[in-house]
Amino acid sequence: MIQRYRASAGIMLTPAVTLIGIFILLPMLLTVWLSFQDWSTQTPFASASFIGLDNFREIFGPTSVGRDFKGALVNTAIYTALSVILILPLSVAFGLMVYQDDVAGGTALRTVLFSTYMVPMIAVALVWSKLYSPSEGPFNQMLGLVGIGPQPWLSSPRSALISIVVLNVWQQVGYFTVLAIAGLTQIPGSLYEAARLDGANRFEQFRFITLPLMRRTLLFSAVIAIINAVQVFEPVALITQGGPVGSTNVLTYHIRRVGIERAQGGLGSAMAVMLMLSLIVVVCALFALANRKDQE
Amino acid sequence: MSAGSSSRLPRKRPSGRKALLATLMLVVAVASAFPLVWMVLSSLKTPAESMQVPPVWIPRTPGLDAYEKVSGVVNVGRSMWNSLVIASITTTGILVTSMMAGYAFAKYHFPGRSLLFSVLIAAMFLPPIVTLIPLYRLVGSIGLNASLAGIIVPNLANAFGIFLMRQFIAGVPDDLIDAARMDGASELLILYKIVAPSVAPAIAALALFAFVYHWNSYLWPLTVLQGNADAYPIVISLSRLLSYNRGAMNTGLVMAGATLAVLPPLILFVFLQRFFVDSIVGSAIKG
Repeated sequence: MIQRYRASAGIMLTPAVTLIGIFILLPMLLTVWLSFQDWSTQTPFASASFIGLDNFREIFGPTSVGRDFKGALVNTAIYTALSVILILPLSVAFGLMVYQDDVAGGTALRTVLFSTYMVPMIAVALVWSKLYSPSEGPFNQMLGLVGIGPQPWLSSPRSALISIVVLNVWQQVGYFTVLAIAGLTQIPGSLYEAARLDGANRFEQFRFITLPLMRRTLLFSAVIAIINAVQVFEPVALITQGGPVGSTNVLTYHIRRVGIERAQGGLGSAMAVMLMLSLIVVVCALFALANRKDQE
Repeated sequence: MSAGSSSRLPRKRPSGRKALLATLMLVVAVASAFPLVWMVLSSLKTPAESMQVPPVWIPRTPGLDAYEKVSGVVNVGRSMWNSLVIASITTTGILVTSMMAGYAFAKYHFPGRSLLFSVLIAAMFLPPIVTLIPLYRLVGSIGLNASLAGIIVPNLANAFGIFLMRQFIAGVPDDLIDAARMDGASELLILYKIVAPSVAPAIAALALFAFVYHWNSYLWPLTVLQGNADAYPIVISLSRLLSYNRGAMNTGLVMAGATLAVLPPLILFVFLQRFFVDSIVGSAIKG
């Protein structure tokens, strides 16, 4: 009997495990292997030659390769941090708005917020490139109505990256609002009742009941938001091409440019490995922080 | 309601807090909806109207000129068809592979189960750019680059799908499955006839997620197609609109194109949003 199910398990798992093995896990291992090789993306894997840590020395070195990579790493870190810092509080605030007495209003708001998550990023980029347009764009027109001068948005190195953060937050916040609502519905109403009897006001209820009990949800949201943020590609590829002056050159765009367009597969792989390591470190740090708070 | 009537009627008036909340919700909803509303309105303007300063917010003579122009610049029909083929086949593959693997993880005991599951979950969190370079070469070496198959085949299995299916299939009672086994049903038949109907809402949710995700997907098709315009999905065709006649002139054109790309996923969402929301909540709570 057991033998029979073992065979069935094999049959059930083979398609998924084979596909994920060949198209995700194998390429991941190849990325790590290629990061130690001198290899052009236009040649077979067999033509790669081992060069130790040279790729890593180069991407952290003083040449233009190093400058561009370090710039992309910093831009990605800023972009990711800003996205998470904006998305998490907004998702909780919007979640509280949706999850309240006015059920119909709440559901309508949730629908509007979540609908932007369905929009292809390429359409988001197209629409926002026109919203940000310096002269006839609606944002500067509206600012003009309240007496504020036109802003450069995507055309200044000081504001281009944050402008892309804003469109990312606009697109994604609905998804995280739904996650926040899922967390809010898990909090037993009796806790609020007890707190009210003890004379806690709304702010105290939020501070001492809602926030602590939302910690797991917020941790999950933060991890997903970080993983999503490092994938930003379309607005950069379509509108800014990494500029002005490299201010929106982020890792996904840069790695693709180096590894695919310039066919420097070894260098690109070393960059991808650094991205993977950074993500592992950040996510582990987040979990460690959350666990320490749990023990308090 | 006049002041007089409110003082006579003992009805509870909305408190200040409630009014404030309602106002806030309205502001958030308007801010969230504005870009898409503006997109549709701009796509209906005449070229002269979209150039006008101060701007015309609502077109006086809405027309479909911009949409006609889009189909002159890119092959809309062909691109939509390509997107439909990519999204449908990929979704079907994900459903089949996820249900089979999800069933195995939920209902079988076999050595290395939790280790294998952890490895798959790790794959779920891997950003695609990390594997893009070798994958591009790999797909090229098996002769699939510059084709629709090259876009589809690497995505036929999905770790999130396996995760979601395992979560929901775990809730199907073992008795139900054992009873079918007693009757001599094969495992695949049990999965198809007993398990699948019990988790139908989760299957619907996964189907919608997969379809929308692969309809919208840009990085991988762009990389693997290497400029083969015949195989372009709609999102790649539209990205070429921005460089066509750069500047304020092409606003209507670009917005018409964006509207075309947005419509299919948004229509699916409007009709089926319950499934979307339930599955996100389900995967977050059970996870």
